[in-house]
Amino acid sequence: MSDFARYFALDVPSLLAILAMMAVTYATRVTGYLVLRNRTLSPRATAVLEAVPGAVLISVIAPAFTTTNPADLLGLAVTLAMACRFPMLPTVIVGVAVTALLRHML
Amino acid sequence: MTATALPDDIAPDEREPSRSVWAEFRRGLAAMAPILLGVTPFALVLGSQAAMKGLSPLEVALMCGLNFAGGSEFVAIELWRSPPQIALIAGMTLLVNCRHLLMGASFAPHLRRLRPWQAALVLFVMADETWALGMDDARRRMAVTGRPGISLPYYAGLAVSLYIAWVAVTVLGAVVGPVLGNPHAYGFDMAFTAVFLVLIRGMWKGWRRALPWPVSLGVAAVTHLAVPGAWYVPAGTLAGLAVAYFVAGTETREAAP
Repeated sequence: MSDFARYFALDVPSLLAILAMMAVTYATRVTGYLVLRNRTLSPRATAVLEAVPGAVLISVIAPAFTTTNPADLLGLAVTLAMACRFPMLPTVIVGVAVTALLRHML
Repeated sequence: MTATALPDDIAPDEREPSRSVWAEFRRGLAAMAPILLGVTPFALVLGSQAAMKGLSPLEVALMCGLNFAGGSEFVAIELWRSPPQIALIAGMTLLVNCRHLLMGASFAPHLRRLRPWQAALVLFVMADETWALGMDDARRRMAVTGRPGISLPYYAGLAVSLYIAWVAVTVLGAVVGPVLGNPHAYGFDMAFTAVFLVLIRGMWKGWRRALPWPVSLGVAAVTHLAVPGAWYVPAGTLAGLAVAYFVAGTETREAAP
């Protein structure tokens, strides 16, 4: 098979699986918006909704806090300390570099 | 200096949001740059894993370009057989991406003034990173203007850079194959943690509003250890929101005479 044919191969079951993923994912993206688009919320519901970003972001990164690897724990502590004081870019660079260094040394 | 001029020591993010479309777009590109540092190695790995499972570069491009939600793509590739089990993959995609329901709901007030096709596009490219940075910016703008609403060109800058990088680099990974090994061996996975921690710090509004955070962290961590799969995200999120619900309840009672 030529490279061209290999790169552009597309069979029907794979395409259907990909389209199913797209449909499910887009549904999750629009449903919350469509439900709340034209509602006026009570102060309590607004407070809950305002807590969504923090709760989602913390839950997404929670697995990092379950590590028992000393290098990862130290790297996480350094990243957390950086994040409390410094802007995005230095925090990311120092977090990645220190973690990489610790993983190679420990 | 005139009365309306802003002092030089105010960060660009905190100025009156009245700059040109192009400047806002570039501000979005710049804000996404540190995140791309963390995304790129994972995109390479996803692409090479997909190639090993027999997906062509075109199929990788379609999956990443049409689905555009990295977590669910890693899970789908992990479960991929030839031919793929469509119901299983759709079900796992729903589980991994159900956080989008809440993300879209919290985004809704900021999208109210958009045309329907604009909102449809904004939501199509709403991933953790674009949503988190878009919400962060909308919150700062609201502090200045007093009303909700995202900066559409800023969000476009975020989305265009992440979308192009994600699709292009996963395809590159599929073409060149496993060149990089495990990105965890370096430290690139810490980039996501770093980005999200900085964003979370920006949401600090006193300890009362932060009470859901340790609960989300604890419940998500325990769920992650105890239950295989992606259940820890909805579990941690809902636990945090339950705390927010009770905290908001005590605030209303204290405010009453």
